Amino acid sequence: MTGITNLLRKNRTQSITLAALVVLFLLALQGMEPSDWIITVLRGLSVAAVTFLVASGFSLIFGLMDVLNLAHGTLFMIGAYLGWTAYVRPDTLLDLATPFALFIAGLMLAPLWDAGLSRARVAMRAGRVLPWLILALGLGVLAFGLVRYPITAWDASVYDKSPVVFGVQLDLGQTDLPAPLTADRAQVILAMMSVFAGGALVALGLALNAARQRLAAPRVTWRALWLPLSLIVVGVLVYALNDALTAGVVAAGTTWRFCIAVIVATLAGAGLGALMESTLIRPLYARPIYQLMLTLGLGVIGREVVIALWGRTQMQMPKPALFNAMGKGCPAETLWDALINQCATINFMGTRIRTYNEIFIFVVGVIVLIVVWMLLQRTRIGMIIRAGVQDRAMVEALGINVRQVFTFVFALGVGLAALGGVLAGPSMGVSDDMGESLLLAGLIALAIGGLTSFPGAAAGSLLVGLLQQFIVKYGQIGIALPFGAQPFKPTPPLVPASTLLLMVIILLVMPNGLFGRRE
Amino acid sequence: MSNLLEVRDVHTFIGQFHILQGVTVTVPKGAITTLLGRNGAGKTTTLKTILGLTPPRTGQVIFDGREIQGQRTFEIAALGIGFVPDYRAIFRDLSVEENLRIAERKPGDLERKADLIFGLFPDLKRLIKLRGTQLSGGQQQMLAIARALVADNKLLLIDEPTEGLAPVLIEQMMQAILQLAAETTVLLVEQNFHVASQLAKHYVIIEEGRSVQSGVMADLLKDTATVRRYLGAA
Repeated sequence: MTGITNLLRKNRTQSITLAALVVLFLLALQGMEPSDWIITVLRGLSVAAVTFLVASGFSLIFGLMDVLNLAHGTLFMIGAYLGWTAYVRPDTLLDLATPFALFIAGLMLAPLWDAGLSRARVAMRAGRVLPWLILALGLGVLAFGLVRYPITAWDASVYDKSPVVFGVQLDLGQTDLPAPLTADRAQVILAMMSVFAGGALVALGLALNAARQRLAAPRVTWRALWLPLSLIVVGVLVYALNDALTAGVVAAGTTWRFCIAVIVATLAGAGLGALMESTLIRPLYARPIYQLMLTLGLGVIGREVVIALWGRTQMQMPKPALFNAMGKGCPAETLWDALINQCATINFMGTRIRTYNEIFIFVVGVIVLIVVWMLLQRTRIGMIIRAGVQDRAMVEALGINVRQVFTFVFALGVGLAALGGVLAGPSMGVSDDMGESLLLAGLIALAIGGLTSFPGAAAGSLLVGLLQQFIVKYGQIGIALPFGAQPFKPTPPLVPASTLLLMVIILLVMPNGLFGRRE
Repeated sequence: MSNLLEVRDVHTFIGQFHILQGVTVTVPKGAITTLLGRNGAGKTTTLKTILGLTPPRTGQVIFDGREIQGQRTFEIAALGIGFVPDYRAIFRDLSVEENLRIAERKPGDLERKADLIFGLFPDLKRLIKLRGTQLSGGQQQMLAIARALVADNKLLLIDEPTEGLAPVLIEQMMQAILQLAAETTVLLVEQNFHVASQLAKHYVIIEEGRSVQSGVMADLLKDTATVRRYLGAA
């Protein structure tokens, strides 16, 4: 008990602010029906969860490497598009799986190149330009292979109906996946070999570049060949069984496809993050302004690429079957019934709430919060991250490769944003501008929480999410003000403005945010 | 090979400032060598240059028979160099145990070195659950040295270990450094000439970014003119 009292006394400003906010949200009960209040809180929690997925990655990246990743909103949006594709176009996913596996198999020859190069001592003579030439050649060969490989989605005419509702129609059985492209065997084999060779050449270029500065020759065992070899086999098998696999995935139903979509989008996001950090951000660590320009630019470019690939349309992403049923036993009375009957809605204290939007998203947000918190507190890499936030140079001086940790954290942060995107898909819809409001909300949540604090990101997201939804609700029912006869109805532009106002107030009271460290 | 570390005519720039303008330091194996000099002479930068935190533009750094200049800091440290910076760099958000655990290069390092570490600094055992922020200055200094002992380091770079400590603690810290120097080689930066002269066997004087004189501490103690000229102490 004394512990809690002490904690409160020590963090007086925090406690008072938090108490005032809680009172404010409870005061809202006065002006609206209890059922309205509950649904608003639940929606707020759901919005908070999505905001948190963006803000937490943002905060990890900013905390450890001082990079303000302004492309984070775009990466959230890309996650949604990747998820949509994996969800409603499993044929595209499987088409891409083969070249992807072959390219990675080629890249995995890197340790072999390393060993060979240091034995032959060619690296020293290779000079500065040759590695880059080989790298460029590798990418060229990769592109050569990719355009020849039959990928159904490359063909724009496949949607005889609009892509907007394609997912919904596929879900209802009103449409089929487009017929797979056919290609003669010689072309496919050529394409596969080029993609593999592209990966191998890229690996060679990178190995040559790295070998120029290396002292000791790395040892390599023949076991290093197993993984690339098995990847090649998997890639070829996926090609051979493409039709059967596609049919199987479609038949597996939306719940399983949604699981696949979540995994694919998160992993692809993480891979994109790792690639971004290791190629573009890394050279700019000492130059914050250039970093800002770079991430801002990447955000714009990413959005244009998405528009070019998917078109400027808002696409619907049907909810997975587990949260979509309307028939017998729905709306459910208990959570258990909702799961058994796969209900879309559930009756709760006199109001009807949606299982996907208001429950599932929030639950995933809480799970991510716990998992990342455990990762930070209980694992060695988490320990390194916490130490690195304070003093990177000292961590490096202990013999720890901080750059690798940077790449990991960037991948984690972008992966979380992509996860947020794919989760938001079924509730918000998928559109190219969905990332912008999330980026702003995430930034505000971070500023409220104290920039580099992980619990702060959670608390900030919570406040932003709740406030947004309350303003939305007041826009519908109006708020009685002590002056003026008409109830005041906030217009939609006031939603983001209100969160900004909250941020300004909190930063005036606590310049370092709720959980920030005094500098 | 009796020299564990050789720094040969190193020039280091920080931004456009030419901080080290020809520093040569030889650290014989198994003894304490101290860098002497006034504030801002370049002693700390010399340590950072060895570790690659401020890489040298020209010159060589040879550790254990191999050139290490131009390597990345974590690779240099992993060769077996422990660093105790003057600002101690205790990780605030980590517990004392985690502050030690993070220095492990292979699992179980801390358990293996526990006797050595807690033998030198018995206080740390009592404080093991506290956070870095909750330690006093002296305790932080002990932890910073202990952290450098967790991995199997052949060389310890210790920067200003007695700065800001109470006289009682200075005595304790000196005892600890003497004890650990029995097992590893130490390159020490020490502002307090009285302390440095009692600890070190060899010395190098750095003046305005250049190493101007080096030798055996016993000889320097007789040469009061040099001491007064470069160090302002007698």
